[in-house]
Amino acid sequence: MSLDPASAPADVIIVGSGAAGGIAAYSLTKAGLRCLMLEAGRDYDPQQEVNMLAPESDAPLRGSATPDKPFGYFDATVDGGWEVDGEPYTSTKGSGFRWWRPRMLGGRTNHWGRHVPRWGAYDFKPFSRDGLGVDWPIGYDDVAPFYDRVEKMIGVNGGPIGLENHPDSPADCLMPPPAPRVPELLLKATAESMGIPVRAAHTAVLTRDMPDAVAPRSACFNATPCTRGCTIGAMFQTTTSFLPMAKATGRLTVVTDAMVSRVLTNQAGRATGVEYVDRKTGVRHQVSARAVVLAGGTGETTRLLLNSGEAGRGLANSSGELGRNLTDSTGASFSAFIPGLADRPRYNEDGIGGQHVYIPFWLYEKQKRGELDFARGYHFEVWGRFGVPSANVLPRAWGADLKKAVRSASGATIGLSLRGEMIPNKDTYCEIDPGVRDRFGIPVLRFAFRFSRQEVNQVAHGRRIAHALFERMNGRILDDPSLPPEKIMAAGGEIIHELGTARMGADARTSVVDSYGRAWDVDNLVLMDGAIFASGAHKNPTLTILALALRASERLAARFKSGAFA
Amino acid sequence: MTPSRRTTLQWMIAAAAMPLARWASPASAAEGANAPPFDTVADWPGAPPPLVATKGYGRDPTLMEPKVVWPLTLTRAQRATVDLLGDMILPADDVSPGAGQLGVGAFIDEWISAPYPTQQGDRATILGGLDWLDRQSIAQHGKDFAALGAPIRGLLLDALCVAVPSGKLEMPVKFMDRLRHLFVLGFYTLPEGKKDMGHVGDQPTEGPYPGPSVEARTHLAALLAELKLGERTS
Repeated sequence: MSLDPASAPADVIIVGSGAAGGIAAYSLTKAGLRCLMLEAGRDYDPQQEVNMLAPESDAPLRGSATPDKPFGYFDATVDGGWEVDGEPYTSTKGSGFRWWRPRMLGGRTNHWGRHVPRWGAYDFKPFSRDGLGVDWPIGYDDVAPFYDRVEKMIGVNGGPIGLENHPDSPADCLMPPPAPRVPELLLKATAESMGIPVRAAHTAVLTRDMPDAVAPRSACFNATPCTRGCTIGAMFQTTTSFLPMAKATGRLTVVTDAMVSRVLTNQAGRATGVEYVDRKTGVRHQVSARAVVLAGGTGETTRLLLNSGEAGRGLANSSGELGRNLTDSTGASFSAFIPGLADRPRYNEDGIGGQHVYIPFWLYEKQKRGELDFARGYHFEVWGRFGVPSANVLPRAWGADLKKAVRSASGATIGLSLRGEMIPNKDTYCEIDPGVRDRFGIPVLRFAFRFSRQEVNQVAHGRRIAHALFERMNGRILDDPSLPPEKIMAAGGEIIHELGTARMGADARTSVVDSYGRAWDVDNLVLMDGAIFASGAHKNPTLTILALALRASERLAARFKSGAFA
Repeated sequence: MTPSRRTTLQWMIAAAAMPLARWASPASAAEGANAPPFDTVADWPGAPPPLVATKGYGRDPTLMEPKVVWPLTLTRAQRATVDLLGDMILPADDVSPGAGQLGVGAFIDEWISAPYPTQQGDRATILGGLDWLDRQSIAQHGKDFAALGAPIRGLLLDALCVAVPSGKLEMPVKFMDRLRHLFVLGFYTLPEGKKDMGHVGDQPTEGPYPGPSVEARTHLAALLAELKLGERTS
């Protein structure tokens, strides 16, 4: 072990460079604090490494998913994924959690869905509404000003939603959404005829230029898959926004390939710094600072704390809640071949990456009246446009008939991906595996995961709705309605929305951190990623991670200013 | 990541992962022609010899210079048969060349030579199928598949498109399903294939996304009217 001579003295160490770490670095350096960012993954520069315009036919296997690149060859996630060489994790018997770990500067913001709905009042006070789980110590009104600012900082396009528990953004927050495509317009007409709303999605892709002296970003040019990353900065990723902006202050030092193994503390119970392993050399380093921010992602942050402090108990765990309350979004996909869309006129259907409209949850009133057999909500994300038809819409034919069928079927499939809220349950958690260490000698996480009847019923309901929509379009349903809902649900972790293993609360006895992410047990240790969520929502979490991290960063900076860490 | 947000890329991922069950009813099903049009059905051959150990492109390939890093493994004769099949499955017409002509056979070779589980499963199916085609041709006609006349080859492919294959035809039909799917994937992701589908896109369009063309909206309006969904197009 050695002190790292290269590291300048820092006010704050930030572990992780994704959404939370990125906005923390931006906010804290702008506030005048010197930050040392430690990223476990390799250095990464989208300008140099993103192959935006190459056709899929340039990629091995036409860009198909492989165990090496689970989202396809050109996907922006490099050097990581469901599996990372030499860095295993385990699951308890009978549960199959999958843990996605990018190992790159910018973390998951390089590849993500960019669907950024605001959470609403119910999402922060779920216990008050249905008696399940816990309430957050803060409500929508506490977060709203930060949503406003984050939407403007990262660049979000979208429109009003105007539905219960779907708060709208003030007028100046959003850029205009892109026009819907034909399948989306068909879905809208169909759904609205059945009383189901369809709205412009909120997406973290610029539809207008965003000038900046250091990191100017351009409006989307409507052509390439966002999942590859974006050299023009149109979609939000920290590597083209917050990180260069923070570096320009001269107060941010970034060390990549720095696998943090534990938080160091002194006799007084304060964090003094962290220990990390250089992933390239295996050399251990210790670095110190006046405060430590953990933003390495839900699982990694909790693993770090469990591997710190008191052996067998971890750090910041006097409540015993560390590792508990793990959730992921529910996920299921439905699709149908729509004969009415076959042979339709061609036009440029690329648009911005991903959906232009979506179906927000609309059944809160019905749920309140006790007419649904599940608590909480779900939404549908929409897909389907011109492309290579999948095998299940083509006839068993060869020759001229097959060519004709392919032309006809291109663009005639509509898909709905369900994303729903999971309620924390006692059988779903992570802990340290007593017998397994990674290649750096760091004990690994072991996951236990189980959906409850709430989630199973929710997915079953969503399937009935999706199929009813398809039937109204005279569609031929392509997924098997006879399968039990348990069989069509994505495994835990597969939606990559893991949250909640170091939850916030109003009370040190039942939560790990306060509403500003500050560990109840360690005054100068602040958690900023999805670990601090008191519950999930059906809504994708990144916007809320960013808003809470901004709020926590400003609180931390204010405490520095007031001399709390002198 | 995450799924939904489907792009061209994800379409292909989905297509590649799609199980082969649940085909649309083919014409042959209506004719009730489930029995093979020949008396003898050759045995499905044993598993092909294992692929020589080789590596994939890894988790961190240089994306600016995409390349296939594993050696191709089809023999010349196998490749010739694959090209022949490509020109039968997706033949040349006045819109686009045949898949064999276009070199999609090289993609089939790349696919079955890749050291990943899906591709290795397909390798057994494709190599077994190529072998079976020759066995069947020899059993029926005394010569290899490639040496048969086009009409006879066509009859053989017809037999591999039955709706409900049974007995010894199950594996040959699975082979045909898989090969056809790989040809579709390999062909329609090429510029010539995209053009064949009339695909418009893959080009930067500055300014706000313009949305559907007038023709596309007119078609949609007619569809909405047909479905009695009103004429809402915005």
